Amino acid sequence: MSLLLQVIVNGLIAGSIYALVSCGFSLIYNTNRFMHFAHGVSVLVSGYILFTLFTLLNFNFYFALISSLVYSSFIGFLIFRIVYLPLQNRKASNVILLIASISLLLLFQNLLQMIYGANVKDIGFTDIKIGYEIGDVIITQNQIIILIISIILFVSLFLFMNKTKLGKNMRAVSENKELASIVGINSKKVSDLSFFIGSFLGGIAGVLISLEQNVTPYMGTMLTIKGFTSSIIGGIFSVPGSILGSYILGLAENLGILYLPSGYKDAISFVLLFLFLLLKPNGLFSSKRRVN
Amino acid sequence: MIFPYLIHILILIGIYSILSVSLNLVLGYSGLLNLGQIALFGIGAYTSALLSTNGVPFVVSFILAGIISAIFGLLLVFATKKLKGDYFALASLGFAFVIYSLLLNLKEITNGPLGITSIPKPTLFGFIIKENFYFLLLVLIICIISIYIINKIVNSGFGKLLSAMRDNELGLKVLGKNTSKLKYKAMLISGFFAGISGSLYAHYIGYIEPNTFYLTELIFILTIVIIGGIASIKGSVISTFLIIAISETSRFLPFPSSIVGPARQIVYSVILLIILIFKPRGLYGRIDLE
Repeated sequence: MSLLLQVIVNGLIAGSIYALVSCGFSLIYNTNRFMHFAHGVSVLVSGYILFTLFTLLNFNFYFALISSLVYSSFIGFLIFRIVYLPLQNRKASNVILLIASISLLLLFQNLLQMIYGANVKDIGFTDIKIGYEIGDVIITQNQIIILIISIILFVSLFLFMNKTKLGKNMRAVSENKELASIVGINSKKVSDLSFFIGSFLGGIAGVLISLEQNVTPYMGTMLTIKGFTSSIIGGIFSVPGSILGSYILGLAENLGILYLPSGYKDAISFVLLFLFLLLKPNGLFSSKRRVN
Repeated sequence: MIFPYLIHILILIGIYSILSVSLNLVLGYSGLLNLGQIALFGIGAYTSALLSTNGVPFVVSFILAGIISAIFGLLLVFATKKLKGDYFALASLGFAFVIYSLLLNLKEITNGPLGITSIPKPTLFGFIIKENFYFLLLVLIICIISIYIINKIVNSGFGKLLSAMRDNELGLKVLGKNTSKLKYKAMLISGFFAGISGSLYAHYIGYIEPNTFYLTELIFILTIVIIGGIASIKGSVISTFLIIAISETSRFLPFPSSIVGPARQIVYSVILLIILIFKPRGLYGRIDLE
Protein backbone atom coordinates (compact mmCIF):
# COMPACT_ATOMS: atom_id res chain seq x y z
CA MET A 1 0.00 0.00 0.00
CA SER A 2 2.72 2.46 0.93
CA LEU A 3 4.63 1.48 -2.21
CA LEU A 4 1.55 2.20 -4.28
CA LEU A 5 1.16 5.62 -2.65
CA GLN A 6 4.80 6.44 -3.29
CA VAL A 7 4.42 5.41 -6.93
CA ILE A 8 1.36 7.62 -7.29
CA VAL A 9 3.23 10.59 -5.82
CA ASN A 10 6.15 9.96 -8.18
CA GLY A 11 3.69 9.73 -11.06
CA LEU A 12 2.15 13.09 -10.15
CA ILE A 13 5.58 14.73 -9.98
CA ALA A 14 6.59 13.35 -13.39
CA GLY A 15 3.13 14.33 -14.68
CA SER A 16 3.60 17.94 -13.51
CA ILE A 17 6.79 18.30 -15.51
CA TYR A 18 5.26 16.64 -18.58
CA ALA A 19 2.27 18.95 -18.20
CA LEU A 20 4.45 22.07 -18.28
CA VAL A 21 5.84 20.84 -21.58
CA SER A 22 2.59 19.60 -23.05
CA CYS A 23 0.48 22.67 -22.31
CA GLY A 24 3.01 24.82 -24.17
CA PHE A 25 2.99 22.27 -26.95
CA SER A 26 -0.78 22.31 -27.18
CA LEU A 27 -0.95 26.11 -26.93
CA ILE A 28 1.43 26.46 -29.86
CA TYR A 29 -0.36 23.76 -31.84
CA ASN A 30 -3.71 25.45 -31.37
CA THR A 31 -2.65 28.88 -32.57
CA ASN A 32 -0.34 27.65 -35.34
CA ARG A 33 -1.67 24.22 -36.32
CA PHE A 34 1.59 22.33 -36.52
CA MET A 35 3.69 20.17 -34.24
CA HIS A 36 6.49 22.21 -32.69
CA PHE A 37 8.79 19.28 -31.99
CA ALA A 38 11.62 21.72 -31.32
CA HIS A 39 9.75 22.66 -28.14
CA GLY A 40 12.41 20.64 -26.31
CA VAL A 41 14.96 23.28 -27.33
CA SER A 42 13.49 25.60 -24.69
CA VAL A 43 13.88 22.87 -22.09
CA LEU A 44 17.52 22.36 -23.11
CA VAL A 45 18.37 26.05 -23.26
CA SER A 46 16.94 26.81 -19.83
CA GLY A 47 18.69 23.84 -18.24
CA TYR A 48 22.07 24.69 -19.71
CA ILE A 49 21.82 28.44 -19.03
CA LEU A 50 21.00 27.66 -15.41
CA PHE A 51 23.97 25.27 -15.23
CA THR A 52 26.31 27.78 -16.87
CA LEU A 53 25.32 30.81 -14.81
CA PHE A 54 24.68 29.21 -11.45
CA THR A 55 26.99 26.18 -11.34
CA LEU A 56 29.90 27.21 -13.55
CA LEU A 57 29.98 30.99 -13.04
CA ASN A 58 28.57 31.08 -9.48
CA PHE A 59 25.98 33.76 -10.13
CA ASN A 60 23.09 34.23 -7.73
CA PHE A 61 20.57 31.39 -8.15
CA TYR A 62 17.56 33.62 -8.81
CA PHE A 63 19.45 35.70 -11.35
CA ALA A 64 20.45 32.47 -13.15
CA LEU A 65 16.89 31.20 -12.93
CA ILE A 66 15.34 34.33 -14.43
CA SER A 67 17.98 34.51 -17.16
CA SER A 68 17.36 30.92 -18.17
CA LEU A 69 13.62 31.57 -18.47
CA VAL A 70 14.21 34.71 -20.54
CA TYR A 71 16.57 32.89 -22.88
CA SER A 72 14.30 29.89 -23.29
CA SER A 73 11.28 32.11 -24.07
CA PHE A 74 13.30 34.00 -26.66
CA ILE A 75 14.69 30.91 -28.31
CA GLY A 76 11.16 29.63 -28.98
CA PHE A 77 10.19 32.99 -30.44
CA LEU A 78 13.34 33.10 -32.61
CA ILE A 79 12.77 29.58 -33.92
CA PHE A 80 9.30 30.67 -34.98
CA ARG A 81 10.54 33.81 -36.71
CA ILE A 82 13.69 32.39 -38.32
CA VAL A 83 12.57 28.91 -39.35
CA TYR A 84 8.80 28.40 -39.19
CA LEU A 85 7.63 31.75 -40.50
CA PRO A 86 9.64 31.58 -43.78
CA LEU A 87 8.37 28.03 -44.24
CA GLN A 88 4.78 29.10 -43.62
CA ASN A 89 5.21 32.04 -45.97
CA ARG A 90 6.10 29.70 -48.79
CA LYS A 91 3.07 27.59 -47.86
CA ALA A 92 5.06 24.56 -46.72
CA SER A 93 2.94 21.74 -45.38
CA ASN A 94 2.79 20.65 -41.76
CA VAL A 95 5.04 17.70 -42.48
CA ILE A 96 7.81 20.02 -43.67
CA LEU A 97 7.45 22.02 -40.47
CA LEU A 98 7.57 18.76 -38.52
CA ILE A 99 10.78 17.63 -40.25
CA ALA A 100 12.29 21.09 -39.76
CA SER A 101 11.40 21.03 -36.09
CA ILE A 102 12.90 17.56 -35.53
CA SER A 103 16.13 18.68 -37.16
CA LEU A 104 16.16 21.84 -35.00
CA LEU A 105 15.83 19.69 -31.90
CA LEU A 106 18.75 17.51 -32.96
CA LEU A 107 20.72 20.60 -33.97
CA PHE A 108 20.51 22.03 -30.45
CA GLN A 109 21.03 18.68 -28.78
CA ASN A 110 24.27 18.20 -30.68
CA LEU A 111 25.35 21.80 -30.27
CA LEU A 112 25.06 21.52 -26.49
CA GLN A 113 26.68 18.11 -26.53
CA MET A 114 29.63 19.56 -28.46
CA ILE A 115 30.04 22.48 -26.08
CA TYR A 116 29.37 20.78 -22.74
CA GLY A 117 30.02 17.10 -23.45
CA ALA A 118 27.57 14.21 -23.33
CA ASN A 119 27.88 13.52 -19.59
CA VAL A 120 25.24 14.53 -17.06
CA LYS A 121 25.66 17.81 -15.18
CA ASP A 122 24.56 18.32 -11.61
CA ILE A 123 23.21 21.80 -10.90
CA GLY A 124 24.25 21.43 -7.24
CA PHE A 125 21.54 23.64 -5.74
CA THR A 126 21.33 21.80 -2.44
CA ASP A 127 18.95 24.13 -0.59
CA ILE A 128 15.96 22.19 -1.84
CA LYS A 129 17.10 18.60 -1.42
CA ILE A 130 15.61 18.15 2.05
CA GLY A 131 13.29 15.15 2.15
CA TYR A 132 10.06 14.90 4.11
CA GLU A 133 8.37 11.74 5.24
CA ILE A 134 4.60 12.07 5.12
CA GLY A 135 3.16 8.79 6.36
CA ASP A 136 5.17 6.26 4.39
CA VAL A 137 5.71 8.52 1.42
CA ILE A 138 9.01 10.32 0.94
CA ILE A 139 8.91 13.60 -0.93
CA THR A 140 11.65 16.22 -1.30
CA GLN A 141 11.20 19.94 -1.01
CA ASN A 142 12.03 20.26 -4.68
CA GLN A 143 9.25 17.85 -5.59
CA ILE A 144 6.76 19.84 -3.52
CA ILE A 145 7.91 22.95 -5.37
CA ILE A 146 7.35 21.17 -8.70
CA LEU A 147 3.78 20.26 -7.73
CA ILE A 148 2.92 23.74 -6.42
CA ILE A 149 4.55 25.76 -9.21
CA SER A 150 2.91 23.70 -11.92
CA ILE A 151 -0.54 24.11 -10.38
CA ILE A 152 -0.03 27.88 -9.97
CA LEU A 153 1.05 28.13 -13.60
CA PHE A 154 -1.90 26.11 -14.89
CA VAL A 155 -4.34 28.32 -12.99
CA SER A 156 -2.61 31.48 -14.26
CA LEU A 157 -2.65 30.17 -17.81
CA PHE A 158 -6.35 29.39 -17.49
CA LEU A 159 -7.07 32.89 -16.15
CA PHE A 160 -4.93 34.45 -18.88
CA MET A 161 -6.70 32.55 -21.65
CA ASN A 162 -10.17 33.27 -20.31
CA LYS A 163 -10.01 36.67 -18.65
CA THR A 164 -7.53 38.83 -20.57
CA LYS A 165 -7.97 40.35 -24.00
CA LEU A 166 -4.74 38.81 -25.30
CA GLY A 167 -5.77 35.40 -24.10
CA LYS A 168 -9.18 35.75 -25.70
CA ASN A 169 -7.49 36.74 -28.96
CA MET A 170 -5.43 33.61 -28.77
CA ARG A 171 -8.47 31.48 -28.28
CA ALA A 172 -10.19 33.22 -31.16
CA VAL A 173 -7.28 32.47 -33.48
CA SER A 174 -7.22 28.85 -32.42
CA GLU A 175 -10.97 28.56 -33.00
CA ASN A 176 -10.96 30.14 -36.43
CA LYS A 177 -7.97 31.95 -37.86
CA GLU A 178 -9.77 33.59 -40.78
CA LEU A 179 -12.67 34.82 -38.72
CA ALA A 180 -10.24 36.18 -36.13
CA SER A 181 -8.36 38.12 -38.78
CA ILE A 182 -11.62 39.55 -40.13
CA VAL A 183 -12.44 41.03 -36.75
CA GLY A 184 -8.98 42.60 -36.70
CA ILE A 185 -6.90 40.22 -34.61
CA ASN A 186 -3.30 40.11 -35.80
CA SER A 187 -2.67 36.38 -35.99
CA LYS A 188 1.08 36.78 -36.39
CA LYS A 189 1.24 38.63 -33.08
CA VAL A 190 -0.82 35.86 -31.52
CA SER A 191 1.64 33.30 -32.90
CA ASP A 192 4.56 35.27 -31.48
CA LEU A 193 2.85 35.36 -28.12
CA SER A 194 2.03 31.65 -28.15
CA PHE A 195 5.68 30.83 -28.81
CA PHE A 196 6.77 33.14 -26.00
CA ILE A 197 4.37 31.69 -23.46
CA GLY A 198 4.77 28.09 -24.58
CA SER A 199 8.56 28.33 -24.52
CA PHE A 200 8.48 30.07 -21.15
CA LEU A 201 6.52 27.11 -19.74
CA GLY A 202 8.98 24.74 -21.44
CA GLY A 203 11.79 26.71 -19.82
CA ILE A 204 10.23 26.22 -16.40
CA ALA A 205 9.99 22.51 -17.08
CA GLY A 206 13.68 22.59 -18.03
CA VAL A 207 14.67 24.31 -14.79
CA LEU A 208 12.58 21.95 -12.65
CA ILE A 209 13.84 18.77 -14.31
CA SER A 210 17.43 20.04 -14.09
CA LEU A 211 17.02 20.54 -10.35
CA GLU A 212 15.15 17.28 -9.86
CA GLN A 213 17.46 15.10 -11.96
CA ASN A 214 20.41 16.43 -13.95
CA VAL A 215 21.16 18.40 -17.09
CA THR A 216 21.81 16.24 -20.15
CA PRO A 217 21.77 16.96 -23.89
CA TYR A 218 19.06 14.31 -24.31
CA MET A 219 16.51 15.77 -21.91
CA GLY A 220 15.06 18.05 -24.58
CA THR A 221 14.23 15.19 -26.92
CA MET A 222 12.92 13.05 -24.10
CA LEU A 223 10.62 15.75 -22.69
CA THR A 224 9.42 16.69 -26.17
CA ILE A 225 8.34 13.12 -26.75
CA LYS A 226 6.73 12.88 -23.31
CA GLY A 227 4.96 16.21 -23.70
CA PHE A 228 3.82 15.29 -27.16
CA THR A 229 2.55 11.89 -25.99
CA SER A 230 0.66 13.62 -23.17
CA SER A 231 -0.99 16.00 -25.61
CA ILE A 232 -2.04 13.14 -27.86
CA ILE A 233 -3.44 11.19 -24.89
CA GLY A 234 -5.41 14.14 -23.54
CA GLY A 235 -6.22 15.75 -26.87
CA ILE A 236 -3.94 18.26 -28.53
CA PHE A 237 -6.78 20.66 -29.26
CA SER A 238 -7.37 21.22 -25.58
CA VAL A 239 -4.79 22.71 -23.21
CA PRO A 240 -6.54 21.35 -20.09
CA GLY A 241 -6.83 18.00 -21.88
CA SER A 242 -3.09 17.98 -22.49
CA ILE A 243 -2.46 18.70 -18.82
CA LEU A 244 -4.70 15.82 -17.76
CA GLY A 245 -3.01 13.61 -20.36
CA SER A 246 0.34 14.45 -18.78
CA TYR A 247 -0.75 13.25 -15.36
CA ILE A 248 -2.19 10.10 -16.93
CA LEU A 249 1.14 9.47 -18.64
CA GLY A 250 3.15 10.16 -15.47
CA LEU A 251 0.97 7.76 -13.49
CA ALA A 252 0.93 5.11 -16.23
CA GLU A 253 4.73 5.12 -16.46
CA ASN A 254 5.26 4.88 -12.75
CA LEU A 255 2.52 2.32 -12.14
CA GLY A 256 3.74 0.34 -15.16
CA ILE A 257 7.18 -0.23 -13.74
CA LEU A 258 5.64 -1.80 -10.65
CA TYR A 259 4.99 -4.75 -12.96
CA LEU A 260 7.62 -4.32 -15.69
CA PRO A 261 11.40 -3.85 -15.55
CA SER A 262 12.28 -0.17 -15.06
CA GLY A 263 13.80 0.01 -18.54
CA TYR A 264 10.27 -0.13 -19.90
CA LYS A 265 9.38 3.31 -18.54
CA ASP A 266 9.98 5.05 -21.86
CA ALA A 267 8.58 2.12 -23.81
CA ILE A 268 5.25 2.61 -22.01
CA SER A 269 4.93 6.14 -23.33
CA PHE A 270 6.02 5.17 -26.84
CA VAL A 271 3.42 2.42 -26.98
CA LEU A 272 0.71 4.71 -25.55
CA LEU A 273 1.64 7.35 -28.15
CA PHE A 274 1.36 4.90 -31.01
CA LEU A 275 -1.88 3.35 -29.76
CA PHE A 276 -3.54 6.72 -29.23
CA LEU A 277 -2.48 7.96 -32.67
CA LEU A 278 -3.99 4.85 -34.21
CA LEU A 279 -7.13 4.43 -32.16
CA LYS A 280 -7.99 7.80 -30.67
CA PRO A 281 -6.02 10.52 -32.46
CA ASN A 282 -8.29 13.23 -30.99
CA GLY A 283 -7.36 12.18 -27.48
CA LEU A 284 -9.53 11.58 -24.46
CA PHE A 285 -10.71 15.08 -23.68
CA SER A 286 -11.02 17.12 -26.84
CA SER A 287 -14.61 17.38 -27.77
CA LYS A 288 -15.73 18.26 -31.23
CA ARG A 289 -12.87 18.73 -33.64
CA ARG A 290 -11.60 16.01 -35.90
CA VAL A 291 -7.98 15.48 -36.73
CA ASN A 292 -8.35 14.84 -40.43
CA MET B 1 46.17 3.24 -47.24
CA ILE B 2 43.65 5.31 -49.14
CA PHE B 3 42.36 2.36 -51.17
CA PRO B 4 40.79 0.33 -48.32
CA TYR B 5 39.18 3.50 -47.07
CA LEU B 6 37.71 4.22 -50.48
CA ILE B 7 36.23 0.72 -50.53
CA HIS B 8 34.72 1.30 -47.09
CA ILE B 9 33.08 4.54 -48.27
CA LEU B 10 31.75 2.90 -51.42
CA ILE B 11 30.22 0.04 -49.43
CA LEU B 12 28.39 2.50 -47.19
CA ILE B 13 27.24 4.47 -50.23
CA GLY B 14 25.87 1.27 -51.76
CA ILE B 15 23.98 0.31 -48.59
CA TYR B 16 22.54 3.77 -47.95
CA SER B 17 21.64 4.21 -51.64
CA ILE B 18 19.28 1.25 -51.38
CA LEU B 19 17.79 2.68 -48.18
CA SER B 20 17.37 6.21 -49.52
CA VAL B 21 15.85 5.03 -52.80
CA SER B 22 13.46 2.79 -50.85
CA LEU B 23 12.41 5.80 -48.77
CA ASN B 24 12.00 7.93 -51.87
CA LEU B 25 9.65 5.32 -53.30
CA VAL B 26 7.15 5.94 -50.50
CA LEU B 27 7.97 9.52 -49.54
CA GLY B 28 8.53 10.90 -53.02
CA TYR B 29 6.69 8.76 -55.52
CA SER B 30 3.72 7.71 -53.39
CA GLY B 31 3.38 10.74 -51.13
CA LEU B 32 3.29 8.62 -47.98
CA LEU B 33 5.09 10.75 -45.41
CA ASN B 34 6.78 7.87 -43.72
CA LEU B 35 9.14 8.83 -40.90
CA GLY B 36 9.46 5.21 -39.78
CA GLN B 37 11.74 3.96 -42.54
CA ILE B 38 14.73 3.88 -40.21
CA ALA B 39 12.84 1.34 -38.07
CA LEU B 40 12.34 -0.92 -41.10
CA PHE B 41 16.07 -0.66 -41.79
CA GLY B 42 16.64 -1.65 -38.15
CA ILE B 43 14.20 -4.57 -38.32
CA GLY B 44 16.07 -5.87 -41.37
CA ALA B 45 19.42 -5.49 -39.64
CA TYR B 46 18.27 -7.23 -36.46
CA THR B 47 16.46 -10.03 -38.33
CA SER B 48 19.51 -10.82 -40.39
CA ALA B 49 21.91 -10.50 -37.48
CA LEU B 50 19.86 -12.71 -35.16
CA LEU B 51 19.29 -15.39 -37.78
CA SER B 52 22.89 -15.59 -38.94
CA THR B 53 24.36 -15.58 -35.43
CA ASN B 54 22.11 -18.60 -34.86
CA GLY B 55 23.54 -20.45 -37.82
CA VAL B 56 21.08 -19.58 -40.59
CA PRO B 57 22.89 -19.14 -43.95
CA PHE B 58 23.41 -15.59 -45.20
CA VAL B 59 21.18 -15.86 -48.26
CA VAL B 60 18.23 -17.01 -46.15
CA SER B 61 18.71 -14.35 -43.45
CA PHE B 62 19.17 -11.70 -46.11
CA ILE B 63 15.92 -12.53 -47.86
CA LEU B 64 14.02 -13.00 -44.60
CA ALA B 65 15.28 -9.58 -43.47
CA GLY B 66 13.61 -8.09 -46.53
CA ILE B 67 10.41 -10.06 -46.03
CA ILE B 68 10.04 -9.30 -42.30
CA SER B 69 10.65 -5.59 -42.88
CA ALA B 70 8.14 -5.62 -45.72
CA ILE B 71 5.56 -7.18 -43.41
CA PHE B 72 6.20 -4.54 -40.75
CA GLY B 73 5.90 -1.83 -43.41
CA LEU B 74 2.59 -3.31 -44.47
CA LEU B 75 1.39 -3.47 -40.87
CA LEU B 76 2.32 0.19 -40.41
CA VAL B 77 0.23 1.44 -43.34
CA PHE B 78 -2.56 -0.99 -42.56
CA ALA B 79 -2.79 0.18 -38.94
CA THR B 80 -2.62 3.85 -39.92
CA LYS B 81 -4.88 3.76 -42.95
CA LYS B 82 -7.34 6.23 -41.46
CA LEU B 83 -4.67 8.85 -40.75
CA LYS B 84 -3.72 11.51 -43.23
CA GLY B 85 -0.91 14.00 -43.78
CA ASP B 86 1.00 14.97 -40.69
CA TYR B 87 -0.88 12.52 -38.50
CA PHE B 88 0.36 9.66 -40.65
CA ALA B 89 3.87 11.14 -40.39
CA LEU B 90 3.52 11.31 -36.59
CA ALA B 91 2.19 7.78 -36.33
CA SER B 92 5.08 6.47 -38.43
CA LEU B 93 7.44 8.38 -36.15
CA GLY B 94 5.65 6.78 -33.19
CA PHE B 95 6.17 3.41 -34.88
CA ALA B 96 9.91 4.13 -35.06
CA PHE B 97 9.90 4.99 -31.32
CA VAL B 98 8.08 1.74 -30.49
CA ILE B 99 10.51 -0.38 -32.51
CA TYR B 100 13.44 1.45 -30.91
CA SER B 101 12.14 0.78 -27.41
CA LEU B 102 11.47 -2.87 -28.25
CA LEU B 103 15.05 -3.28 -29.52
CA LEU B 104 16.20 -1.66 -26.30
CA ASN B 105 14.01 -3.65 -23.93
CA LEU B 106 13.50 -7.14 -25.34
CA LYS B 107 16.85 -8.03 -23.85
CA GLU B 108 16.38 -11.80 -24.15
CA ILE B 109 16.17 -11.46 -27.92
CA THR B 110 18.00 -8.28 -28.90
CA ASN B 111 20.55 -8.08 -26.08
CA GLY B 112 19.20 -4.61 -25.21
CA PRO B 113 21.44 -1.54 -25.36
CA LEU B 114 24.57 -3.70 -25.72
CA GLY B 115 23.42 -4.74 -29.16
CA ILE B 116 24.49 -7.75 -31.19
CA THR B 117 28.17 -8.33 -31.74
CA SER B 118 30.24 -10.58 -34.00
CA ILE B 119 27.71 -10.85 -36.78
CA PRO B 120 29.34 -13.24 -39.28
CA LYS B 121 30.55 -12.13 -42.70
CA PRO B 122 28.28 -13.38 -45.49
CA THR B 123 28.92 -16.80 -47.02
CA LEU B 124 27.92 -17.32 -50.64
CA PHE B 125 28.25 -20.73 -52.34
CA GLY B 126 30.68 -21.87 -49.65
CA PHE B 127 32.82 -18.78 -50.13
CA ILE B 128 33.19 -16.51 -47.09
CA ILE B 129 33.23 -12.85 -48.06
CA LYS B 130 35.88 -11.71 -45.64
CA GLU B 131 37.64 -9.08 -47.65
CA ASN B 132 35.99 -5.72 -48.06
CA PHE B 133 36.71 -5.71 -51.77
CA TYR B 134 34.46 -8.72 -52.30
CA PHE B 135 31.89 -7.27 -49.95
CA LEU B 136 31.87 -4.17 -52.13
CA LEU B 137 31.19 -6.33 -55.20
CA LEU B 138 28.29 -8.00 -53.38
CA VAL B 139 26.86 -4.63 -52.27
CA LEU B 140 27.25 -3.13 -55.74
CA ILE B 141 25.45 -6.04 -57.40
CA ILE B 142 22.56 -5.90 -54.91
CA CYS B 143 22.46 -2.11 -55.08
CA ILE B 144 22.31 -2.04 -58.88
CA ILE B 145 19.63 -4.73 -59.02
CA SER B 146 17.56 -2.96 -56.33
CA ILE B 147 17.75 0.42 -58.00
CA TYR B 148 17.00 -1.15 -61.37
CA ILE B 149 13.88 -2.80 -59.96
CA ILE B 150 12.68 0.34 -58.15
CA ASN B 151 13.32 2.39 -61.29
CA LYS B 152 11.26 -0.10 -63.33
CA ILE B 153 8.49 0.08 -60.75
CA VAL B 154 8.24 3.87 -60.68
CA ASN B 155 8.15 4.04 -64.47
CA SER B 156 5.55 1.29 -64.78
CA GLY B 157 1.80 1.74 -64.85
CA PHE B 158 1.77 0.95 -61.15
CA GLY B 159 4.35 3.69 -60.53
CA LYS B 160 2.23 6.17 -62.46
CA LEU B 161 -0.71 5.25 -60.26
CA LEU B 162 1.41 5.87 -57.18
CA SER B 163 2.34 9.35 -58.42
CA ALA B 164 -1.27 10.03 -59.29
CA MET B 165 -2.23 9.03 -55.75
CA ARG B 166 0.37 11.42 -54.36
CA ASP B 167 -0.92 14.31 -56.50
CA ASN B 168 -4.62 13.67 -56.15
CA GLU B 169 -5.77 10.78 -54.02
CA LEU B 170 -9.42 11.71 -54.14
CA GLY B 171 -9.35 11.97 -57.93
CA LEU B 172 -7.88 8.52 -58.22
CA LYS B 173 -10.57 7.16 -55.90
CA VAL B 174 -13.24 8.75 -58.07
CA LEU B 175 -11.79 6.83 -61.01
CA GLY B 176 -12.45 3.68 -59.03
CA LYS B 177 -8.89 2.86 -57.99
CA ASN B 178 -8.34 1.28 -54.59
CA THR B 179 -5.74 3.65 -53.15
CA SER B 180 -5.35 1.64 -49.93
CA LYS B 181 -4.11 -1.31 -51.99
CA LEU B 182 -1.63 0.95 -53.79
CA LYS B 183 -0.27 2.11 -50.45
CA TYR B 184 0.07 -1.47 -49.16
CA LYS B 185 1.99 -2.50 -52.26
CA ALA B 186 4.26 0.55 -52.18
CA MET B 187 5.06 -0.01 -48.52
CA LEU B 188 5.68 -3.74 -49.03
CA ILE B 189 8.21 -3.03 -51.76
CA SER B 190 9.83 -0.17 -49.88
CA GLY B 191 9.99 -2.20 -46.65
CA PHE B 192 11.63 -5.09 -48.47
CA PHE B 193 14.45 -2.93 -49.82
CA ALA B 194 14.88 -1.13 -46.48
CA GLY B 195 15.16 -4.58 -44.87
CA ILE B 196 17.81 -5.94 -47.22
CA SER B 197 19.87 -2.76 -46.89
CA GLY B 198 19.65 -3.23 -43.11
CA SER B 199 20.87 -6.81 -43.54
CA LEU B 200 23.87 -5.65 -45.59
CA TYR B 201 24.62 -3.00 -42.99
CA ALA B 202 24.56 -5.54 -40.13
CA HIS B 203 26.84 -7.99 -41.93
CA TYR B 204 29.24 -5.29 -43.04
CA ILE B 205 29.68 -3.46 -39.72
CA GLY B 206 29.42 -6.70 -37.73
CA TYR B 207 27.81 -4.93 -34.77
CA ILE B 208 24.40 -3.31 -34.32
CA GLU B 209 22.72 -1.51 -31.42
CA PRO B 210 19.32 0.21 -31.03
CA ASN B 211 20.76 3.75 -31.32
CA THR B 212 21.76 3.07 -34.92
CA PHE B 213 18.06 3.05 -35.75
CA TYR B 214 16.79 6.13 -33.92
CA LEU B 215 16.17 9.84 -34.44
CA THR B 216 19.71 10.79 -35.43
CA GLU B 217 19.82 8.24 -38.22
CA LEU B 218 16.30 9.18 -39.22
CA ILE B 219 17.41 12.76 -39.82
CA PHE B 220 20.46 11.43 -41.66
CA ILE B 221 18.39 9.46 -44.14
CA LEU B 222 15.74 12.17 -44.50
CA THR B 223 18.51 14.67 -45.22
CA ILE B 224 19.81 12.42 -47.99
CA VAL B 225 16.41 12.02 -49.62
CA ILE B 226 15.39 15.66 -49.30
CA ILE B 227 18.73 17.00 -50.58
CA GLY B 228 18.55 14.61 -53.52
CA GLY B 229 15.04 15.68 -54.30
CA ILE B 230 11.59 14.22 -53.98
CA ALA B 231 10.66 11.62 -56.59
CA SER B 232 14.14 11.42 -58.07
CA ILE B 233 16.11 8.18 -57.85
CA LYS B 234 19.13 9.83 -59.42
CA GLY B 235 18.93 12.59 -56.82
CA SER B 236 18.83 10.11 -53.93
CA VAL B 237 21.88 8.22 -55.20
CA ILE B 238 23.95 11.36 -55.85
CA SER B 239 22.96 12.82 -52.52
CA THR B 240 23.95 9.57 -50.76
CA PHE B 241 27.38 9.93 -52.39
CA LEU B 242 27.71 13.52 -51.19
CA ILE B 243 26.50 13.00 -47.63
CA ILE B 244 28.43 9.79 -46.96
CA ALA B 245 31.57 11.34 -48.44
CA ILE B 246 31.24 14.40 -46.19
CA SER B 247 30.43 12.21 -43.20
CA GLU B 248 33.29 9.76 -43.68
CA THR B 249 36.02 12.25 -44.60
CA SER B 250 35.16 14.32 -41.53
CA ARG B 251 36.85 11.53 -39.53
CA PHE B 252 40.20 12.88 -40.70
CA LEU B 253 39.63 16.28 -39.15
CA PRO B 254 42.08 16.90 -36.31
CA PHE B 255 39.44 16.93 -33.57
CA PRO B 256 38.45 14.29 -31.02
CA SER B 257 35.45 12.13 -31.93
CA SER B 258 33.42 13.71 -29.11
CA ILE B 259 33.52 16.91 -31.18
CA VAL B 260 33.38 15.47 -34.70
CA GLY B 261 30.32 13.27 -33.98
CA PRO B 262 28.00 16.08 -32.83
CA ALA B 263 29.53 18.48 -35.38
CA ARG B 264 28.54 16.13 -38.16
CA GLN B 265 24.95 16.01 -36.86
CA ILE B 266 24.92 19.80 -36.67
CA VAL B 267 26.01 20.01 -40.30
CA TYR B 268 23.25 17.60 -41.43
CA SER B 269 20.58 19.47 -39.47
CA VAL B 270 21.69 22.84 -40.84
CA ILE B 271 21.86 21.56 -44.42
CA LEU B 272 18.40 20.05 -44.04
CA LEU B 273 16.96 23.29 -42.64
CA ILE B 274 18.55 25.36 -45.42
CA ILE B 275 17.20 23.03 -48.10
CA LEU B 276 13.71 23.07 -46.55
CA ILE B 277 13.64 26.86 -46.36
CA PHE B 278 15.42 27.85 -49.57
CA LYS B 279 15.44 24.94 -52.01
CA PRO B 280 12.55 22.61 -51.19
CA ARG B 281 13.02 20.64 -54.39
CA GLY B 282 16.52 19.57 -53.49
CA LEU B 283 19.04 18.88 -56.23
CA TYR B 284 16.97 16.91 -58.70
CA GLY B 285 13.48 16.94 -57.26
CA ARG B 286 10.61 17.12 -59.67
CA ILE B 287 8.06 18.38 -57.19
CA ASP B 288 8.10 20.31 -53.94
CA LEU B 289 7.93 18.20 -50.84
CA GLU B 290 4.37 18.65 -49.64
